[in-house]
Amino acid sequence: MSDLSYIKRPNRPLQIYAILFLVVLYLPVLFIPLFSFNDSVYVKFPLTGLTTKWYVELWSREPVWNALWNSVKVGAAVAVISTILGVIAARAITRYRLPGKNVLVTFIMMPLVIPGIIFGVALLILMSRLGVPLSLFTVTLGHLIVCLPFAVATLLPRFEGFDKSMEEASADLGENGWWTFWRVTMPMVFPGIVASLLLSFTISFDEFIMAFFLTGTDPTLPMYIWGQLRFPQEFPSILALSALILFVSFFVVFVAQYFGRRGLESDQ
Amino acid sequence: MDIVDQLGAVREGKMSRRAFARSLLASGVAIATLPAGARRAMAAPEDQGTYFTWGGYDIPELFGPYMANNNGEMPNFAVFGGSEEALTKMRGGFVVDVSHPCNQAMPRWVATGLFQPIDPSRLGNWPDVIPALVDLEGNDAEGGSIWMAPFDWGQTSITYRTDLVDLEGKEESWDILWDPKYSGKLGSLGSGADAWWVGAIKAGVDFKDIDTPEAFEKIAAVMREQRPLMRTYTDDNTTLEQALSSGEMVASMTWASSAVQLQAEGVPVKFAKPKEGALTWVCGLMIHKDAPKVDKAYEIIDSLLSVETGHFMINDYGYGHSNIKAFDAFDAAKLDSLGLSKTPSEVLSAGHFQVPQTQEWETKMNETFEQIKAGF
Amino acid sequence: MTETSNSSTKAQRSPGRGGLSGLLHRHENLRGFLLMTPTLLVMGVGIIAPFFILVTMSLWTRQGFDFDTTLTMANYARTWNEPIYGALLSRSFWISGIATVATVILCYPMAYFVAFHVHRNKMMWIILMTLPFWTSYLLRVFAWKVILGYEGVINSGLMAVGLIEAPLEFLLYSQEAVIITLAHAWAAFAILPLYVSLEKIDKSLLEAATDLGDGPVARFMRITLPLSLPGVIAACFLIFIPTTGDYITPALLGGPDGAMIGNFIQLQFGPVNNWPMGATLSMVLMMWISLIALVFLFITRLAREKIA
Repeated sequence: MSDLSYIKRPNRPLQIYAILFLVVLYLPVLFIPLFSFNDSVYVKFPLTGLTTKWYVELWSREPVWNALWNSVKVGAAVAVISTILGVIAARAITRYRLPGKNVLVTFIMMPLVIPGIIFGVALLILMSRLGVPLSLFTVTLGHLIVCLPFAVATLLPRFEGFDKSMEEASADLGENGWWTFWRVTMPMVFPGIVASLLLSFTISFDEFIMAFFLTGTDPTLPMYIWGQLRFPQEFPSILALSALILFVSFFVVFVAQYFGRRGLESDQ
Repeated sequence: MDIVDQLGAVREGKMSRRAFARSLLASGVAIATLPAGARRAMAAPEDQGTYFTWGGYDIPELFGPYMANNNGEMPNFAVFGGSEEALTKMRGGFVVDVSHPCNQAMPRWVATGLFQPIDPSRLGNWPDVIPALVDLEGNDAEGGSIWMAPFDWGQTSITYRTDLVDLEGKEESWDILWDPKYSGKLGSLGSGADAWWVGAIKAGVDFKDIDTPEAFEKIAAVMREQRPLMRTYTDDNTTLEQALSSGEMVASMTWASSAVQLQAEGVPVKFAKPKEGALTWVCGLMIHKDAPKVDKAYEIIDSLLSVETGHFMINDYGYGHSNIKAFDAFDAAKLDSLGLSKTPSEVLSAGHFQVPQTQEWETKMNETFEQIKAGF
Repeated sequence: MTETSNSSTKAQRSPGRGGLSGLLHRHENLRGFLLMTPTLLVMGVGIIAPFFILVTMSLWTRQGFDFDTTLTMANYARTWNEPIYGALLSRSFWISGIATVATVILCYPMAYFVAFHVHRNKMMWIILMTLPFWTSYLLRVFAWKVILGYEGVINSGLMAVGLIEAPLEFLLYSQEAVIITLAHAWAAFAILPLYVSLEKIDKSLLEAATDLGDGPVARFMRITLPLSLPGVIAACFLIFIPTTGDYITPALLGGPDGAMIGNFIQLQFGPVNNWPMGATLSMVLMMWISLIALVFLFITRLAREKIA
């Protein structure tokens, strides 16, 4: 590629904006760890003192850990399944000249124009009519419906911008269909897949309304927190847990980057 | 661009995919090791009963006897934020063993046909349960059985800041929550199950007549009058307690536990004894008709009715308990400061005790109250 | 179609699959549908059945604990005649609309920055921007309460500087509080589609525009903006539609004047216990969203034609 001097050149105002943006994005979130060390059950300024007792207390609160683990399980399952289904759909939509393609896309995007609460109630009735007991599986199904449109919406632009001639080139070089998909198509749509996984996990991990109607006896984390709002003395433990989640997320990203970098270096 | 260039790009892409696979592996390891505690909790056996209750009732302190009988395992919990929410969910097909409504809602819960009578002879703590709390309207099933085993009881009243509310020598009264002097600094529980009844007390409507059209008009007028003075209506205690502790609100309608919690934090508040009388209630336990583990349901109820659970409820939450022996550990002064008594009927009848209403009334009341809250 | 013929010859070589592959080869769209089957199946169970129940129920009426299943338009008539529903709907659209526009405008430069000016660790930036959203939505709403609250960060900050004497009360329990919180909470949903569409732009087009003498502004207006428009539209939809039905944020931060239609729908399924009315309100909300979406699409199409 030739030199794109004006793009390579750093853009000062934009850099400053980006930093400001991140500060505003993170500031509210960082109050969570801050208050998790506050020596009062009430979240307000000024802080009354520093303590780690909420973390100690959190350790002994099994329901919190259960709820967190439930959310991670559901989120991971939803992220993987909705991304796989999204890839399949996006590929079928862009690769083949399907009659009624627009109708199909509209159909997949339907949950976006229906408030989650409606799906929650409707799915709940459906499940009880079918005699399916409420469990994390019903929550997963509900979240799948919510996340799939997001997955497809994220993946579709990637597949649309995808140059078919590259697949043809690969096929010309003797690769079979799946190999071509894995070696050629995948890398091209890879940023879309990562975005879809992240987005789906994020939505599912956060989702409250569907979970509200579809949770059985295993609450997801938002459901658990909702229940705890009634009892403030439980609340600092929740803040402590959130702080931990934040910390672990940072850690995971760091590790991912570390491995990613090493991978890149060894490839070079 | 020619084909060679493009394949070059693919090779670059392939590298990042490999890197991605590694980072996925790494984050997988990190996530798997994250909830070390969760693993332990996941071992919770499938054979425990399920208790569908308010948040805060899902703690080990309330289940000492249950855990002693079940190798230290707690029941499974499902948590709701309000009892109508719970009923909605169960009517939609959600099946639990035990749930936790209050006296005013109990007959309507029974009417759904979703619950089975409780046989008191299967409860070891039953002889110590205060009879006045059992003898509630609509609580008699056939053959000496009952629908709801009473568990906790108490008052809904005003928690106010003693340093910010000036009574000017007057008696404590519900008028505080209608005083324009404190406009924008007042709060209220958001559910009609509490607020509408308080409105009735303020409007001077006898609870026996609360279902008449005139009473409806009167209470609606009182609630409309109050609405512009309100900072917010909420169902979550945290919000009310925070606002009271910061001085954002000077007074709010709350349950007793809010005042107990705030006092424990050193906030100068008092749980009022309004001259018109507080709103009083009894909550209890009901067994779902399709309860998969009826035996465990009885164990859960018996554990909640135990003396040690009662101690915790009174001391830490400031609620009354249904086991008479639980009160022995507390002196009269302490009980009085919590607005409790060994003879609950004194407290309950000194205040205004909620009366069960029809579903029609409930629906109309909630619809009206929600419209008033929204400003219509 | 080199690729197609090539792969199908291979498939035909494998025993037992010749007939099917042959059929699939001849009817390419059939293969497409076959590929779609799992997705369509999941969506069928999750959309068609619930949607059917929703439409049916919106035509029922409540009767005690049960439903009067006679089909009637009574609920729809109520939403039209009683002023509260129209007021709540327009308020919801107003709040969501402002939040959407603010989010997209604020996130666009950020996505642009990462797409064009970050050359190393792009993925790190994307993860960094989505990381806050791994924390519970409820807690983030709560964090905003801490910031906007009576003794919150803004109030105590302004008072410490001496700009105000008493805490500003309008910050919390107001429509503004809901808008700010929604814009913050949904930022990730703007950044990701914006980034994807910007990243896709062929940099050589920008180069060509520069060679033709375009300045930065002209280059942006002629190439970057039109080409990223799909991302902008996606972001608008991804934020506007779910937020109109949100009820947690207005419930926790909106106060009495910040209630939205989502709160009322939720109430119909909870305390008010009028499921058919809730279904009707949802149908009405959906119809209005569809209408607004169509108008929006029409306008963006016009705009795109003008720019191009």
